[in-house]
Amino acid sequence: MRAQRMQRTLPSLVLRLLFLCTVATGKCSGKYHELLLQLQRQADLMQDTSTLVDPYIRFQGLESPKLQEHCREHPGDFPSEDALWRLSRQDFLRTLNVTLGLVLRMLSALQQDLPEAAQQQTEMNVRGFGNNIHCMAQLLRGSLDPEAAEPTQPGPGPTLPPLLPPMPPSSTFQRKLRNCRFLRGYHRFMRAAGQVLRSWGERRGRSRRHSPHRALQRGARRTRPFLEVRRLSPRGQLPR
Amino acid sequence: LSEPLPLTPESLKVSINSTKQCLHLQWTVHNLDYHQELKMVFQIQISRFKASNVIWMGNYSTTVKRNQVLHWSWESELPLECAIHFVRMRTMVDDARIPAPRFWSNWSSWEKADAQNSLGDHPLYVFPKDKLVEEGSDVTICYISRNHQDNISCYLEDELTYGKQLDQNVWAFELKNVSFHRKTGTNFYCKGQGVPEGVVLFVSKVLEEPKDFSCETRDLKTVTCTWDPGSDTGLIQLPSYTLFESFSGKKTLCKHRNRCDWQVTQDSQEVYNFTLVAENYFRKRSVSILFNLIHGVHPLAPYNLFPKSVSATNATMTWKVSSIGHNSALLCQLQLLGEGKVIQQHNISVRVNGEYLLSELKPDTEYMARVHCAYADHFWKWSELISQNFTTAEAAPSEAPDVWRDVTFVSGHPTVTLFWKPLSKVHTNGKILFYNVVVENLDEPSSLEVLSVPAPANSTKVTLNQSSYQIYVTAHNSVGPSPASAVAISGHPENENVEEGRVNGTEDGFHMSWKPQSRNATGYVVEWCDDPQNLPCVLRWKNLGPTNTGTVISSDAFRPGVRYDFRIYEISAKGMAHLLEKKAGYLKELAPSYNPEVATINLTSHSFTLSWKDYSTESQTGFIQGYYVYLKSKTGEKCHREFEKTVLPDNSVGCKYTIDNPDQKTLVVKDLQPESVYEFFVTPYTSAGEGPLDDFTKVTTPDDYSHILIHIILPMIFCVLVVMITCYLKSQWLKDKCYPDIPDPYKSSVLSLIKFKENPHITIMNVNDCVPDAIEVVNKPEGSKIQFIGTRKSPTETKGTKPVYLDLLPTEKNYSGPGPCICFENFTYNQAASDLGYCGHFPVTPQAPHCQLGPLTSPENLLKTLEQNYMNSLGEIPAGEANLNYVSQLASPMSGDKESPPANPPEPALCSEYKMQMAIPLGLASPAPSKNSSLSSTALLDPSEHCH
Repeated sequence: MRAQRMQRTLPSLVLRLLFLCTVATGKCSGKYHELLLQLQRQADLMQDTSTLVDPYIRFQGLESPKLQEHCREHPGDFPSEDALWRLSRQDFLRTLNVTLGLVLRMLSALQQDLPEAAQQQTEMNVRGFGNNIHCMAQLLRGSLDPEAAEPTQPGPGPTLPPLLPPMPPSSTFQRKLRNCRFLRGYHRFMRAAGQVLRSWGERRGRSRRHSPHRALQRGARRTRPFLEVRRLSPRGQLPR
Repeated sequence: LSEPLPLTPESLKVSINSTKQCLHLQWTVHNLDYHQELKMVFQIQISRFKASNVIWMGNYSTTVKRNQVLHWSWESELPLECAIHFVRMRTMVDDARIPAPRFWSNWSSWEKADAQNSLGDHPLYVFPKDKLVEEGSDVTICYISRNHQDNISCYLEDELTYGKQLDQNVWAFELKNVSFHRKTGTNFYCKGQGVPEGVVLFVSKVLEEPKDFSCETRDLKTVTCTWDPGSDTGLIQLPSYTLFESFSGKKTLCKHRNRCDWQVTQDSQEVYNFTLVAENYFRKRSVSILFNLIHGVHPLAPYNLFPKSVSATNATMTWKVSSIGHNSALLCQLQLLGEGKVIQQHNISVRVNGEYLLSELKPDTEYMARVHCAYADHFWKWSELISQNFTTAEAAPSEAPDVWRDVTFVSGHPTVTLFWKPLSKVHTNGKILFYNVVVENLDEPSSLEVLSVPAPANSTKVTLNQSSYQIYVTAHNSVGPSPASAVAISGHPENENVEEGRVNGTEDGFHMSWKPQSRNATGYVVEWCDDPQNLPCVLRWKNLGPTNTGTVISSDAFRPGVRYDFRIYEISAKGMAHLLEKKAGYLKELAPSYNPEVATINLTSHSFTLSWKDYSTESQTGFIQGYYVYLKSKTGEKCHREFEKTVLPDNSVGCKYTIDNPDQKTLVVKDLQPESVYEFFVTPYTSAGEGPLDDFTKVTTPDDYSHILIHIILPMIFCVLVVMITCYLKSQWLKDKCYPDIPDPYKSSVLSLIKFKENPHITIMNVNDCVPDAIEVVNKPEGSKIQFIGTRKSPTETKGTKPVYLDLLPTEKNYSGPGPCICFENFTYNQAASDLGYCGHFPVTPQAPHCQLGPLTSPENLLKTLEQNYMNSLGEIPAGEANLNYVSQLASPMSGDKESPPANPPEPALCSEYKMQMAIPLGLASPAPSKNSSLSSTALLDPSEHCH
């Protein structure tokens, strides 16, 4: 029982540290649209396969179509787009933060397997994106925007696959393919995140009746916590 | 020891090392005596797939102790996971102490090594996993397929590879001479229906032997050995480098792949035998050197290099060196660099502080001093260089500026523009701040004028009197002036009447020569403008010594197709410049860039003249040698005289006339056809060719008669106009001559004559004395004109002021037939009446329509007609409007209008008498107008007044 508890709290602790790490990196902009636009642009940049998976494929010699067809996203590595749409804004940001923490760990593990420039650039992108996620979360927390706590898309409720790093296969060849699939999933995930973020701008553009602050307060009670994220980072342990 | 022992291997165990692809055997030999050691030979058989399939057999010799566990490994080329292996062995004592004969023991039982047991249930496996191989070696790869139906293909880096089947489900691929692809390994994969399975071969490049291995010390405390490791092996795992020292037996693992530090111990070891060992998975490479600590001292770089005192020509440099112990001296080399080149080099022995005086430096010049040191006792290597820049102090300019002048005369006064070239860096010795110009009037020695021109100006203008002058120019920097440069100016204009010659340009420039005029010339100056097309002229000059009679003028500014004018001056002993020669030339002549604008003048039916006098031959792209005149006619006839047939640049055929005199700028084209179209085109030519092809200009010759029109009709028109103007101006005179006024009988001289000569009783008949009884009316219904020749008496000449209308016509019943005399009395016109409008004042009678000309049967109509005639006296009265013909009083009625004789011609008058024309006083002419009759009443003439 104690071991199980440890298992559950340790990742959350790591994630919290990661989240705090982004907090310490700079000042937050208080302008919602500016921040949202920045997040959208960063997501667009990070979803570009030429920034990470393409260099990886070349570096590992996996350019062959026979191999590339097996470099598809591995189910479960990253939350699906559908799941992201069902999350409230707060949960969405939390999921982004957790997932990108996982990506950072993978990047660190892939240090020898990636071109140095691509690895460093991606790491910086992820960290910068994390900073802005933190700022957006802070902004939404300080706002009353009901949409902040509402799911982007109404649905049965958020369900996300377990966010655990893929087990490394013993064979180097399989590990190459597995990493390729993971990186492919990363780009897909960032594309999906970008779509959701774009919808934020559209929804706010359509309806300006509610300030983020007011809306958040109104909808906060209706928010269904994101189960998996809660499991990894229990309520109350996330930075407030 | 005397008997052979039946020794057999026991407890044989076989294990698999997948990483190294080795079968590891371990066994023991029992039955050995205690403390007995025997040299034995073990014969080992290895089978694959089945025991009977022996693939390898070999011997292994070793010394065996009692109960010793023996180990032996065999590396398999085929990955062990792909096949079951069987191993057995037997032994034989091979010890000299045991006499022969020697016998092999029995074979041990077959021991099986099966790695497939540990595999999972995947359909496909490829082995060996992550094998490390050296480039150029051979590798065997195999796969195990669990699905026999699956069609499996294998690829080495995307290249399909063919193998051989070893077993029902095992295939092997022999890769020969594998090559390095990338650090992340060479991919070999097999693909059936599912996910591809593969292995990564980590191919290492062959480890190279370290090159240029050497050691040195910088402080006698640490030895640093360096080497060139060669190319990278291409693996993430780097080879290791270890430094051994054989005398001390010490070794150190190097932290870098090209450098290693060795700490000198206190035991005063002076000589070291170093061995560098490079090692990776496959190879071990080593190199050795013998190193003497004292002979390998590489001092640290000196420091604190500064110029201590810097003057215009000297500088003292100081620096410090790092001590290397033993109170040893260092040999330092001080280098002085100017413009990147070493110009001085000095060796100085230094213990702690170095100092050296650098001399023979140039003022205001930037130098670099640099120093490095070496161990003086045993030179091994210079230390690194350190450097320091410094600039020497300024000194006065060392050379006079090169000065030249341009003299122009304005209103007889010379205006001198002085030009000077900037001093070269070698001579300025500092920054030139200004130039002093001292003007000395040689005719007035006490007169000195000083001008200061701030740098970087290179010219100034001075206006002088008509005296002789000496002008001195000096350049000044912060220290002082340069030597002066003198120019003498004469107060009188120079002789410009020097014939201009030509000079040819070459790639080197303009080669020109001149003939000296004076034996006392102190030099020559050639001047020109670098860019003569742009004003003001940037004057250039070249000074030449007195012995020169020629030079080459070159300039980067010279361009082909530009005319350069050179003036060569001779400098007299007094410094005065006299124009010697003028030359003009082109670096390279070009064809003219444009054609003249040609005017066509003197156009006749047979010739015209072409003129292009405005075309300047001076400013062209070459010396104009003449002109080509091209002529084309529409009729395509033969060329005219002096023209030659030619093919024009546009491939059309035309006629060409060559003018070889550039100053001839007109051409008369003769012998042309009237009313013909000619086209011409004039282009100049130089030695490089003719001008551009422009459009031809069309000229049409006129016909032969046009000149008649011009020469005859126009003068005629002019004459007619003159006559008309004259007539107009002399109209009064003409009138007097041709149509004189009717003479006044009272004023006639005849009257006096008559009175004097004939009858004194003769007098002029008074109107009162004459009673008109008849009036001749000539009715000219058409085609006749009535000229009313009336007098132009002004109304003031009339006696009355009121309009008076008289009816002279007697009624018909009073008519008594022709009388002996017809008297006609001219009626007087009253202007005032006319002005009022004749209609309104005519009496309106019921019988006569108002304002109409009725038959002259009524006195009203007559009066009206008469009045109308008078009103139209200045012009002709249109036919039909006038019905009354005036009969001159001087003419007889018979001799009246012949054209329209009266219907009832009167008989010839016996006498014809002129009656005085007079104005009739209103009082006499008519009674006061009654209420009803007004002016329409008939004037009644007194019968007594009838003339008989």
